[in-house]
Amino acid sequence: MSFLSNVRAVAYKEATIVRHDQALIAMVVAQPILMLLLMGYALSYEPANVPWAVLDRDESPLSRRFVQDVQATGYFLPWQRVASYDEGYAKLASGEVLAFLVVPDDFARNAHRGRPDVQVLLDGADPVSAARVGAYLAEIGQHFETVRAEPPRAGPGEGLVVRQEFRFNRTLADSRFFLAALAGILLTNLCMSATSLGLVAERENGTYEQMLASPTRPLEIVIGKLVPYVGLAYLVLAIATLGSGIAFGVWPSGSVLALLAVTLPFVLGSLSVGVFVSAVARTSAQAVFITVFAILPSMVLSGVMFPYQLMPDGVRRIGGVLPLRWYQIALRRITLRGAGIEEVIAPALMLCAIFFVLLVLIRLRMKPRLA
Amino acid sequence: MSGRRLRTLLQREARATLRDPFTLIALVAVPLAALLVFGYVLSTEVKGLSLGVHDASHSAVSRRFVSALAANGTFALRPYASREALDRALVAGEVSAAVVVPPEFAQGIAAEAAATPAELVVTYDGAETVLAGNAEGFLRALVSDTVAQVTSREREAQSASRRARLESPRVPSGVDVRVQALFNPRLDGTRFMVAGTFGFVLSFLTTVITAISIVKERLDGTFEQLQVTPATSFEILLGKIVPLGVVFTLDVVLMMLAGGFVLGVWPLGSGLFFVVVSAFYVLTSLAIGIVISATSTTAAEAVQKTVMLSVPLVQLSGFAFPLRNMPRPVQWLAELFPATHYIRISHAIYLRGAGPAEVLPELALLFVFASALVFFAMRSMERRA
Repeated sequence: MSFLSNVRAVAYKEATIVRHDQALIAMVVAQPILMLLLMGYALSYEPANVPWAVLDRDESPLSRRFVQDVQATGYFLPWQRVASYDEGYAKLASGEVLAFLVVPDDFARNAHRGRPDVQVLLDGADPVSAARVGAYLAEIGQHFETVRAEPPRAGPGEGLVVRQEFRFNRTLADSRFFLAALAGILLTNLCMSATSLGLVAERENGTYEQMLASPTRPLEIVIGKLVPYVGLAYLVLAIATLGSGIAFGVWPSGSVLALLAVTLPFVLGSLSVGVFVSAVARTSAQAVFITVFAILPSMVLSGVMFPYQLMPDGVRRIGGVLPLRWYQIALRRITLRGAGIEEVIAPALMLCAIFFVLLVLIRLRMKPRLA
Repeated sequence: MSGRRLRTLLQREARATLRDPFTLIALVAVPLAALLVFGYVLSTEVKGLSLGVHDASHSAVSRRFVSALAANGTFALRPYASREALDRALVAGEVSAAVVVPPEFAQGIAAEAAATPAELVVTYDGAETVLAGNAEGFLRALVSDTVAQVTSREREAQSASRRARLESPRVPSGVDVRVQALFNPRLDGTRFMVAGTFGFVLSFLTTVITAISIVKERLDGTFEQLQVTPATSFEILLGKIVPLGVVFTLDVVLMMLAGGFVLGVWPLGSGLFFVVVSAFYVLTSLAIGIVISATSTTAAEAVQKTVMLSVPLVQLSGFAFPLRNMPRPVQWLAELFPATHYIRISHAIYLRGAGPAEVLPELALLFVFASALVFFAMRSMERRA
């Protein structure tokens, strides 16, 4: 079969180039480590070290106990006592505190009559933190026992209790959420930037013409160029999976076979995006530039960082074009929810479809260059 | 320094920048696209989430409960016939949360007290941490409200004597926390993201464009020609920075207008002050671009360096993740990026309406960064000479 031997020849040539590309090898090694550290340790939507101010107009043992209960949750820095409402408001407006708790002067008195209330002002300038902190405070209020002397309530007051649980991630740790998609981020970076330069550089160096003069057909060139990167991609997948497992205990809880299987169409799809970019770009600087601005929306729109479920419909649909969207869905299903092959068939099919469409586009784009 | 020489250099750079259609498209399209994309992605509002329901009770009361849940409209309800089907839907990510109505639901609602109360289980898909965290508050309130609503309606139908007993004073407990968010009452993510996008675009695009333009000049040999002219390296630097600085300041204005007219986000503080601060920040990132290009041999290498730089830029500058959630050493590291300080200033102006007085320390820091970077940029250009 001349097709296979041609592909093998191009693949061999490309692999030799990759082996000598020190910048690429540095990226393959350094980037997983950097991202692993960032995602495992640094990044979190979970509020921590929240600065807050308290205006306690009641100054009763009960109000002090409430403030201490809030403090004891561990999300907050030691509270700043303010003397007036205006002072607290000013701290909020300057961004010095995120939350401002006002305990009214009839807090203890109302507690004996029924449910007292407190006021919480939040800095909406930081909406994600504010939403969570508001929910925590409401939760603390819900369970705060205003009358402590009461004996344990004689049996549950109601015949029905509501129990909550967080499946797949009991403590709702953001690091698990991010680490599960780590491979997707790394592979997107690797695959898109590795191939985007390939064709342009060959055109600039004149080696593309040499290849065209050889009996290889364009499709064979494209496939041959992709093969070495597929191997590299699986290496990165292994680094990401082992790294997050060993360092942070996030092992895939589902089928590893499914993980390996669904990675292939994703890698091929992402590589094809790079090939397509290099077929479109005129200079290598342009190619890298376009690639960068293809990678960034991938990170933002695919749902690896922000939940795509909450995005507006149109934006969500745009994100559906990205290979990373479907891969991160599959990754999180396998790694966190313990999914097997059948649960990831749908995203895998989407990835195959994207790859196929890209192949057609590349073919159309490369044809006129042959003439 | 000669004014005439500088003017020539400025003209030359402006013409070179405006002639390249690719650069022009990038200068207009990238900021607008970034603004629109980032403006929409961050949302704390929970709506239209799919909620799986398994009703094991099959009673009139439980059906009433389920339809009351649906009537709220926050969640799209999907019924599942068995617990197993519901579990599978959670694994497959079809539903983001699930409610299991126990078989003893009706008895539980009717009973006033029970030794072993019936358990209504609300499960969240913890794999989607952010989603679960946002949905939790809404759903908990919705479920307990709906239970209370169904319970009270159920009990109204019961005998008067029982009702009398029910109305006997209960143990007082709990505190009502009335939460109110200032500056952004609906906790809308768009404002936050728009304010941060300026920092993102200005840091990133400026660096890339400068790096590409200088490396290209070096490859074409025109840079060497510049260096043999009588122009000093400071003049060459100014000739590079000023035209690009003007273009990027126009970009800031363009983004402000687009953010205002398309997304409805105008700065709460002074727009003019914001443009001035931004122009100053552009200077900083242009200087970074020059340093990067001076240390790169090819354009591709320069862009790759910028990309490596953009990782900490997005993750650690406070653009997407609040810095205070991070461990101390990482926070110190983040303080070293000029972008961190610029994003903090733009958040303050855009979201809290801060004026020069409120952001003075950050401005001072930015000034220190800018002077240091411009100095380095000049040194790096001289070394090439």
